[in-house]
Amino acid sequence: MSGGPPKALPSTGPQSLRDMPHPLAGSSSEEAVGGDSTPSPDLLTARSFGDKDLILPNGGTPAGPASPASSSSLLNRLQLDDDIDGETRDLFVTVDDPKKHVCTMETYITYRITTKSTRVEFDLPEYSVRRRYQDFDWLRNKLEESQPTHLIPPLPEKFVVKGVVDRFSEEFVETRRKALDKFLKRITDHPVLSFNEHFNVFLTAKDLNAHKKQGMALLTRVGESVKHVTGGYKLRSRPLEFAAIGEYLDTFALKLGTIDRIAQRIIKEEIEYLVELREYGPVYSTWSALEGELAEPLEGVSACIGNCSTALEELTEDMTEDFLPVLREYILYSDCMKSVLKKRDQVQAEYEAKLEAVALRKEERPKVPANVEKCQDRMECFNADLKADMERWQNSKRQDFRQLLMGMADKNIQYYEKSGRRVCIQVGLEDAKCDSELFATG
Amino acid sequence: MEQALPDPERRLQPAPLEPLGHPDAGLESAVGEEAEGARDEGPGDGSMMENNFWLKKIEISVSEAEKRTGRNAMNMQETYTAYLIETRSVEHIDGQSVLTDSLWRRYSEFELLRNYLLVYYPHIVVPPLPEKRAEFVWHKLSADNMDPDFVERRRIGLENFLLRVASHPILCRDKIFYLFLTQEGNWKETVNETGFQLKADSRLKALNATFRVKNPDKRFTELKHYSDELQSVISHLLRVRARVADRLYGVYKVHGNYGRVFSEWSAIEKEMGDGLQSAGHHMDVYASSIDDILEDEEHYADQLKEYLFYAEALRAVCRKHELMQYDLEMAAQDLASKKQQCEELATGTVRTFSLKGMTTKLFGQETPEQREARIKVLEEQINEGEQQLKSKNQEGREFVKNAWADIERFKEQKNHDLKEALISYAVMQISMCKKGIQVWTNAKECFSKM
Repeated sequence: MSGGPPKALPSTGPQSLRDMPHPLAGSSSEEAVGGDSTPSPDLLTARSFGDKDLILPNGGTPAGPASPASSSSLLNRLQLDDDIDGETRDLFVTVDDPKKHVCTMETYITYRITTKSTRVEFDLPEYSVRRRYQDFDWLRNKLEESQPTHLIPPLPEKFVVKGVVDRFSEEFVETRRKALDKFLKRITDHPVLSFNEHFNVFLTAKDLNAHKKQGMALLTRVGESVKHVTGGYKLRSRPLEFAAIGEYLDTFALKLGTIDRIAQRIIKEEIEYLVELREYGPVYSTWSALEGELAEPLEGVSACIGNCSTALEELTEDMTEDFLPVLREYILYSDCMKSVLKKRDQVQAEYEAKLEAVALRKEERPKVPANVEKCQDRMECFNADLKADMERWQNSKRQDFRQLLMGMADKNIQYYEKSGRRVCIQVGLEDAKCDSELFATG
Repeated sequence: MEQALPDPERRLQPAPLEPLGHPDAGLESAVGEEAEGARDEGPGDGSMMENNFWLKKIEISVSEAEKRTGRNAMNMQETYTAYLIETRSVEHIDGQSVLTDSLWRRYSEFELLRNYLLVYYPHIVVPPLPEKRAEFVWHKLSADNMDPDFVERRRIGLENFLLRVASHPILCRDKIFYLFLTQEGNWKETVNETGFQLKADSRLKALNATFRVKNPDKRFTELKHYSDELQSVISHLLRVRARVADRLYGVYKVHGNYGRVFSEWSAIEKEMGDGLQSAGHHMDVYASSIDDILEDEEHYADQLKEYLFYAEALRAVCRKHELMQYDLEMAAQDLASKKQQCEELATGTVRTFSLKGMTTKLFGQETPEQREARIKVLEEQINEGEQQLKSKNQEGREFVKNAWADIERFKEQKNHDLKEALISYAVMQISMCKKGIQVWTNAKECFSKM
């Protein structure tokens, strides 16, 4: 990844997110920045929001005791997050094995959560528990409560219109399982959230309901204070970078929505094409029954069309089960981000209002009172956490979409290959020649 | 144009010289003197013909189509399309071709030619014309006869028709066909002067025969069933194929929307932008590729259509057989009845009903002289009848023999042509899959660079 310590930026005031090189972007950002490689002490108290993340020293946060849960103290981990080689990972979580439970009052599905970890926070190296959707929902709420400055990944849709979708069908359960797995993996990948007490309980407790009843609320100091922020403060000016993030997310969600509609339309057209194909193939068989010499080639065409139909059905199923859900999840994800951005705005608004109140008091030597300083800390922590999460989100978005779209391309390639190969056989080409026929360039 | 055209080498092979059981066989021999090239010098001279065949060949093409306006029979303005027919004679030695004839014809003249051939060669499976109106259309194709795509496909179909006739061993020697290619003015009058319309069997008569014939040749009955089934299955096939084409068009075109949205999305992305943008371009390529694919498939559909219409021609031959057989059966029945009457008159017993018998009862017996006279008339009629029956039988057998020979020829042609059509259809599908793999592989590479 990036060779040396992340570069510090000159404090020229707030900059738009776009113009700022990604701290972890590697060589390109290093070229763009040039110059200084050591952060100057002034930056520690500077108001330029951009530099906060880039400060290396672990204990460098000005406000409050450094707590292990503060993201600014765990920036080093940011680098490690991008290593997917697993060697530096010490926590692995998987969701699998859905089972249906039938009780007197209700029927529901549970999933097996398997955890493997070498972290000290876990008593045992391995855990296996069963959880249902409700439990995931509980976890998410707890995370939002206890880590309000962080972006919590979304859960798949809670409510399902009964009668339209069968909650117990294999496809639905599998789609949900994948989404829940992704949800936990995202938390696992997060340097702060993965250490959250509630997360630990979720992964390890034999009886989660007992814990729920206890109402464990282990909040960070920052979390505690943010929780008490009342709404109603008007924001003066949103810093450029957060405004940019907001705009980006709006457009992003729009585009994803469009892609979702296009993908759905394609699937619909493909299914209608499939319906016609299913009538088309057998007509060749009917004709073949009338003929002598032509019987074999006609039957062959019928078989090719049948084969193509099967391949097409697989394509539409894959797209419905794998492509659409992931797309929709990202729309939910950007909605999550936007609500966190709103909270951040509120925190900033409160701080600015309090600051203004102090300025209006017209004292000879205006001293920033303690509570205003606390507000400032809160805001700056929030900004830092959010920025870090945004970078992380952008990275994983890029990887996820690369994978998703390559997957879509792959499925289409496979469809054409399966169809084409069968026709090649029909025309009498041998296997080896099929490949050169189908995959030749030009 | 990837149609299965009749083999050019087969165009003018020496025709079998068996006599045609038809009064106007003389027309064909007259062609010999006026025709150029491999047209024979007259029946019965096989060796001479073979020499000519190797010396010269002719090439026929319908090379152009043009919109015309003119006045129709009711003196109203009309727009129609005229087709240019060019005939070339090819010197075998050096392969060079020389334009010998060139004239313009419209669709209705082709129809006239075909109707003439149907009447004069009822034992031949006469090649069909391309459809008069666009049928089995899918949404993109216009059903308008003036649409350029339709006109183009019709031009090809008309050329195919002429080539089929020219390569038929018997039809190619027809004088009216020759004049169609060479005599622009007055051709219509010439055709009509043959009086072929009068010679045509009425539809009603044919239908009547179909229901009432007692002993048709079994092969023709089977063939008729086959041609009915063939028509039905090919119609069904063409209808579904048109729907398949429609749906496939939809699938490809919707992908074009990806092109636009990827482009818009790439504008807000940093690292992902380039990959998205170029992938979007490939989606546009994918969406537009369907136009050529479906155009090629139309040619396949046209090949099937030709055989759909050929099925009708097959049926016509079967109907003719039924008609002739029915005619024969009626004549035999009539003869038998007359013989019966004669016998009764001679022996004096009255078993069959006759008008004379009736009037005799009412108005009194006839004299022996009257009876003798009647017997004599009947005996003459019976003689005539027996002659007629004999020649009808002969005609019938000739017809069956010649028709069956042409049907065998047709079957081979059909199997050959349709096999080729199916192979070329398969090749089209392979090509489509190949293009699909290429585009998506390119898109995948763009995505990988995101």
